[in-house]
This record gives sequence, structure tokens and C-alpha cells, in this order.
Amino acid sequence: MEIVFIAAAIILGSGALATGIGFALLGGKLLESTARQPELAAQLQTKTFIMAGLLDAVPMIGVGIAMYLIFVVAG
Amino acid sequence: MATTRTRFIALPLVRWLIVEFSLLMILSVLWLLESRLAFYSAFIGGLIFLVPNTYFVHRVFRYQGARKTHLIVSSLFRAESIKLALTAVFFAAVFILMEPVHVPALLITFAVMVVMGAFLRVLVHPRPRR
Repeated sequence: MEIVFIAAAIILGSGALATGIGFALLGGKLLESTARQPELAAQLQTKTFIMAGLLDAVPMIGVGIAMYLIFVVAG
Repeated sequence: MATTRTRFIALPLVRWLIVEFSLLMILSVLWLLESRLAFYSAFIGGLIFLVPNTYFVHRVFRYQGARKTHLIVSSLFRAESIKLALTAVFFAAVFILMEPVHVPALLITFAVMVVMGAFLRVLVHPRPRR
């Protein structure tokens, strides 16, 4: 039973870590590119939004699977 | 001295919601072929994706313009963490409170919405207006 909770914790933890690194890189690039070309700020914001969707797809599914493990498999 | 006009962008929240909600309805109706339980489980799975993401889109497009980029980035980080937390809370609530639930329909619809949603965001083009 404990192994299920450990698995869910690993999924949630690694998902959060990866999302944090990805969003830090994405936000840094947005700041950098907007400082370089401020007239493109609106387009860059939309592109950041699109990339954010691609970035957090896997962690979001991971959250769903982890909740399933905690509340259905172990519960 | 020349006056500079600020460019505003129409919030693409409504357009994004229409696109995502259409996808959710198509997926839910497909699950109706399985059973009514699968239909509403799929619909709930889609809503678990849709509600936190609506908040995310609202927060990301709250600030616009090159002068407010630092606010956009901080808003992006905050929105993402709240979105992940909300998703976890909604899943927990569904698994605890909803009985019975068709788990494959719930999880597969959620996963398809997440993957397709990332690509459907390309359809959201904010229209610049003066």
C-alpha cells in the first residue's frame, strides 16, 4: 500500500519540478525577448501561452494519475 | 511631442472557452456510445481540465504590453501553480464525492483535453485594437 503513495509522491514531485524548470526558462525567455523587441510583446505573450500549454500537458496528466492512485487504488 | 497610443488586445478567453467547450462536448457525446455514466464521467473529466485552465487564461492575459512583462511573468508562475493545485483538488473531490464514476472515461477525456488543448491554443489569436 505504501508503495502506491510513494509512486504518487514521485509523480507529483517530478511533475512539479519539471514544470517549475520549464516555466522558469519560458518566463526568462519572454522577459529577454520582450526587452529586445518590445513591439512584439503581444505576439510573444500569445506564443508563451501556447508553449505553456505544451509544457504542462504531461504534469497535468501526472496529477490526474497520482490522484487516481491515491484515492482509488490505495483508497 | 508625439503622443503614443497604447495597444490593447482583446481577451481571448471567450474564444478559447468556445473552442475547448466544443471539444469537450464532442468527446462526451462519443462516450455516450458506451453508457450514460461514461458520458457524465467524461464531461466531469473535461470540466476538471477546463475550470483551472479558464483561471489560467484569465490570469495570463490580465496584463498586456511590454512595460508590464514582469507582471505577466509573475502572473504566469502564480497561475500555473494554482492551476495544478486546483486540478489536484478537483480530482480528489471527484474520486471522494462522486459515486459511481467511470474512471477510464474520466481520465481518458481529461488526458485528451490536455493534449488537444495544447494544440487548440494555436486557434486563439488575440486581435490587436487601438
